[in-house]
Amino acid sequence: MIRYASHFRPRRLFRDGMILFLDLIFMAWVLFPIVWMFLSAFKQEEGMFSMPPKFIFIPTLLNYTHLVERGAMLYFKNSLYSSVATVLVATSLGTFAGYGLARGRFSKKKQLAWWIITTRMAPIVAVLLPLFMIFRTLRLLNTIPGLVLGFTLFSLPFAIWMMMGFFQEIPREMEEAAWVDGANKLQSFFYIALPMAKPGLIATAVLCFVFAWNDYLFATVLTSGSTQTLPVVTAALQTMRGILWGQVMSMGTLIFIPVLIVGIAIRKYLVRGLTMGAIK
Amino acid sequence: MTRWLHRLPFEFWMLLPAVIVLLAITIYPTLYMLYMSSIEYSTLPQVPSRFIGLENWRAMFLDRAVWDSWAKTVIYFFSGLVLQLFLGTLIALLIERTPILQDFLATALLSPMFLAPVLVGLLWRFLLHDSYGVYAYLLREIGILGKTSLFGNIRTAMPTVILMDTWEWTPLIMIVVLSGLRALPSDIVEAAEVDGASYFQQLRYITLPLLKPIFVVALLVRSMDLLRFIDHLMVTTAGGPADATKILAIRIYENAFRFYKLGYASTLAITLLIVIIILGRMFINVLGIEKAEAEL
Repeated sequence: MIRYASHFRPRRLFRDGMILFLDLIFMAWVLFPIVWMFLSAFKQEEGMFSMPPKFIFIPTLLNYTHLVERGAMLYFKNSLYSSVATVLVATSLGTFAGYGLARGRFSKKKQLAWWIITTRMAPIVAVLLPLFMIFRTLRLLNTIPGLVLGFTLFSLPFAIWMMMGFFQEIPREMEEAAWVDGANKLQSFFYIALPMAKPGLIATAVLCFVFAWNDYLFATVLTSGSTQTLPVVTAALQTMRGILWGQVMSMGTLIFIPVLIVGIAIRKYLVRGLTMGAIK
Repeated sequence: MTRWLHRLPFEFWMLLPAVIVLLAITIYPTLYMLYMSSIEYSTLPQVPSRFIGLENWRAMFLDRAVWDSWAKTVIYFFSGLVLQLFLGTLIALLIERTPILQDFLATALLSPMFLAPVLVGLLWRFLLHDSYGVYAYLLREIGILGKTSLFGNIRTAMPTVILMDTWEWTPLIMIVVLSGLRALPSDIVEAAEVDGASYFQQLRYITLPLLKPIFVVALLVRSMDLLRFIDHLMVTTAGGPADATKILAIRIYENAFRFYKLGYASTLAITLLIVIIILGRMFINVLGIEKAEAEL
C-alpha cells in the first residue's frame, strides 16, 4: 500500500470514515449478544424480562450466589478436571507422536498421518454412538475418565497433527549436532526439539483445552448427575416455570471468560490451529 | 526377539502410545458401529437384540424422513457456508483497510468463536425469545416481526439457525482470510496500483485470485464443522418445529439417544461418516500439497 504524505485529502477522509462506520456495524452485530449476556448475568430475574429492555440497572451478584447454592462448584471441578486431564493426555501423547511423524523415516508414514487426521473429522454423533455403547459395557459411563477418553478422541489427532508441524520447522541439523556431541535421541528430543517447540506446545494445549471445556454433546451423552460438566448443567437449568435465564447467563460468563483469556493469549497461533496447520 | 525390537527406530516408540490409543478409540468403535447397523437393538434386558442383516439399510433408503433430513442438511450446509464466506471475506477486507486499531478490531471480532456452541444456542434463544428477547423486541418495534417466535415457526426456524451459526463462525473465515491478505506479496498489489487499477479491479483480478488456496482451506474447515457440530441446534430447535431444522446429525442423535434405536442410528451415522470422510480427504489433499512433497 502506498502511503501518501499526510496533507489533507477529503476523499481519503470520507473513505476512512465509511470504513470505520461499517466496522462499527459489524462490531455491534458480533459483540452485542455477548455484551447482553454479561449485562443479563448481573440483573435480577425481574429486571431481565422488562420490555423495553433495560440497559441501566443496579447490578447484583444474586445469580452467581444462586449458582453456588445449586452446587456449581462441583460441575466447575468436573469441567476443569476433565479438560485438564484431556490436555495432559492429548498433548503428551501428541507431542511424542508428532515428533515421531516429523522425524521418522518409514514406509506408510503418509498413510499413517492421514489416517490420524481423518479420525478428527468424524461427525461427533457418529463417534458418540459406538462410544456410548462400549462405555456402557465397560462401566465407563458417568465417569470422568470415560469423559476424558471421549475428549481425547478429538483432541489427540489434533495435537499430533499440530505438533508434527511444529517439529518439522525445527532444523534437523540442531539435533544432529547434539548426536555428534554424544547425546542419544531421547536426550536430543528433550533438550533440543522440545524446548524449541514450546510455544507451539502451549498453543496446542490451549486449543485442546478449549475444545474440551466448551464441549456439550460428549458430556451430555457420556455423563449424568454428579459427573456433569458446566455446559451440560447450563443447558439443563430449566424448571417447571421455564428457564432460569439469569443463571444461564451468569453460568455463560463463567464458561466464556477463561476461554476468551487463553484464546486471546495464543491468537498468534489461532489461524494455524483452526486450519490444522494448513495456514501458518 | 529382543534384537528385532532393538532395531525398531526411536521414532516408532514415540508414535506407538498415541497410535494404540487412537486405534482403541476409533477403529474398534467403527467396527462396532458396522456390527450395530445389522442389529435391531432391544432396550429390554430380557429380549435379546436381533440380527437383521441389511434390513436397517433397506429401511434407511426407503425412509422419506431420512431423505428429508439430507435435504435439510444440504440447505443448512450451503447457506451457512456461502453466508459465512461472504461476510467473513467482507469483514477481513474492511479490517485490512481500516486506518486505526486493526488488531484490536480483529481480536474483538473473534470473541463469538470462543463462546461454547451450546452457549451460543442458549444466548440466541434468549435474544430471540418471543416475549422477552431483546432482538425479538427490536424486530417487533421496527415492524418486521409479528408475534411469532423465530425458532418456533416452520418458515423462520431454518434461516434463524443458519444466522446463529453464521454469527458464531464468520470470525473464523474473517481471521483466516485476514491472515491471507496480510501475507500477500505487497509488490504485486503496488504494481497494480501504479498501473492505475482501482481498488475493486485489484480485488477482482489480483487479491481474490491470489487468495484462492486460503479460501479452499477456510471452506473445508467450515464444511466439516458445519456437519459435525450440533450443540447449538440441540438447545434451540432440537430439529423442530416439525422437523424444519432436522439435519441428519440431529436425526441420528434422536434415534440413538431418545428412541434408543441404536441399530438404525448406527446405519445413519455410517452414511454421514462416509460423506464427511470424502470431504475430509479433499481437505487432506489440499493440506498435503506442500507437505506431501516436502517431507511426508
